This record gives sequence, structure tokens and C-alpha cells, in this order.
Amino acid sequence: MIVLKWLFLTISPCDAAEPWQLGSQDAATPIMQGIIDLHHDIFFFLILILVFVLWILVRALWHFHYKENAIPQRIVHGTTIEILRTIFPSLISMFIAIPSFALLYSMDEVVVDPAITIKAIGHQWYRTYEYSDYNSSDEQSLTFDSYMIPEEDLELGQSRLLEVDNRVVVPAKTHLRIIVTSADVPHSWAVPSSGVKCDAVPGRLNQISILVQREGVYYGQCSEICGTNHAFTPIVVEAVPRKDYGSRVSNQLIPQTGEA
Amino acid sequence: MAGHRVAHATLKGPSVVKELVIGFALGLAAGGLWKMHHWNEQRKTRAFYDLLERGEISVVHPEE
Repeated sequence: MIVLKWLFLTISPCDAAEPWQLGSQDAATPIMQGIIDLHHDIFFFLILILVFVLWILVRALWHFHYKENAIPQRIVHGTTIEILRTIFPSLISMFIAIPSFALLYSMDEVVVDPAITIKAIGHQWYRTYEYSDYNSSDEQSLTFDSYMIPEEDLELGQSRLLEVDNRVVVPAKTHLRIIVTSADVPHSWAVPSSGVKCDAVPGRLNQISILVQREGVYYGQCSEICGTNHAFTPIVVEAVPRKDYGSRVSNQLIPQTGEA
Repeated sequence: MAGHRVAHATLKGPSVVKELVIGFALGLAAGGLWKMHHWNEQRKTRAFYDLLERGEISVVHPEE
């Protein structure tokens, strides 16, 4: 087991894209964990079929090499094998479909009463986030824009093309509703470690429910071509402890709303 | 047909059933290795979240 653990090296935890990354980013939500588990389920069948087919191919090349087998046979029927090669793939498809549909329908479950609703609005080429839960009738929503930090303004340790000036601050371990839309052309709000990708379509409100399981900073990028700076509109979600959320929002956002 | 062999005038020929069984067994073995990796990862993830829940580890940088 120790040898196997050594052989199957795990990639160090990551919530952003990493150079030479092989697998998914680490899951921060139950949905992403479900996606990773489904991938693992399907990959089992992929490996099974790949090894089986490679074996049969190699053995066929071995046994029927022209030096070993000068006179080729013309086999045109084999009822038993034809039945088997129809049934087995159907069974495999069924074993893949069961967890796949289970995940798909669970992703569609709408949380009836999320604690917080955040609107994410795509623009060319920045994001606007609105926290409208804290309005009284005469106040505006807490609103701020989120622009990518240009490469020349990055500090040591920050990621190129991923950092933004104002992050989306959310409480961890809390049900959230994110409403995604666009003010101009289609965009897409994607955060891989949260298992979220939601199209931002002008004139339409798309809704997603997420529950971030651990505190951290999660990076994503625009995922629908939206013009010349499509590659330069990242998303950064910062999940903070619940007890710190209120102060973070008021400290971070009120100066921006004052300027807005 | 038991021990079905590829018919040939002079040579013995391979056993199709034997090759299929060996191929399937190898596939299962390779798939099993992958499953072990998956279970190991799941165990580590579960352990991580358990430790986080119990407060033995934290992902929040302490305030200075």
C-alpha cells in the first residue's frame, strides 16, 4: 500500500489553475466533489476498456502476424461474441448513467432559502457584484466592480491573469444563491474549484446554488467568448468564516459604495 | 463452444475465450488500481474535512 501511495502521487491542494496541472482543482463544494467522484467512476470503465482493447489488439497482432499465420481466415459471423459485445457495453453505459443522472439532478436542486443572494453581472471586460440583501427601501445595494489586476501591478506571490482588485466575499459553510447575468454580451461565471460554470446572458437571470465547504480563495475565469479582453476578466471568490463575513462586507464594500 | 479456437488448416491457433478472459482480467486489475487511488483520495479528503470540523487544523491565516 505504501508503494501504491507513492506511485499515485497526489497533487498539492490547489484552488487555482497551476502549471502542468493534471487533475481537477481541489473541491470546495459538494457539487465539485460529486463531479470529481463521477469522473473517477467513469475513468474506471475507461481504463478497463482501454486495457482490454489494447490486450486484444496486441494479441491479435501477435497471433496473426504474417510470419506466424501465413493464411488469413475469413471469419464473418460469431453469434455468441456479437451478443456479448452488445450486452457488455450496454451494461457499462448503465453503470455510468446511474451516478451521472444522480449528480445531474442533485445539481439542479434549488436551495429554497439561501442565506445570501449575490448578483454577478458580466461586462466587457469586468464583473459587477451586487449584494442586495442589505437594502432598506431608500438605500442602494452594496455594489462594486471587479477588474483584473494588470501584470505590472501584481505583487509577489499573486497569480498572473487571475487576481482582481475586489473579490467576491462570501461566508463559508452557508447556502448561497448566485444570480448571473450580463449587461452587454454573453459571458460565463466559472469557478472550477466550486464546480460552477454559469452563463451570463443579457436579458436573462440564471441562478445557481452553492455551499462553499471551507474557507479559502477560489479563482476562475470568464468562460464565454466576449470580445478582445475575454481572457482578462477573472473571478475571485473569497470564502471567509461566517463570524467575519459581516465585518468583511461592511469594511470592504462600504468605501466602494461610497464612491459609486 | 468450449475452448473455441480460431480454425486453421495446419496451426493450432489462439483461444478466443482465453484471450478475452485474460484481457478482461487485466482490465479489471488496472481498473482496480485506479479505484484504490480513488478510495485513497476520498479517505484523505474525508480526513481533511474531519480535522477541519474538529478544529485540529485551520485554513484561515491567524490574525496578527
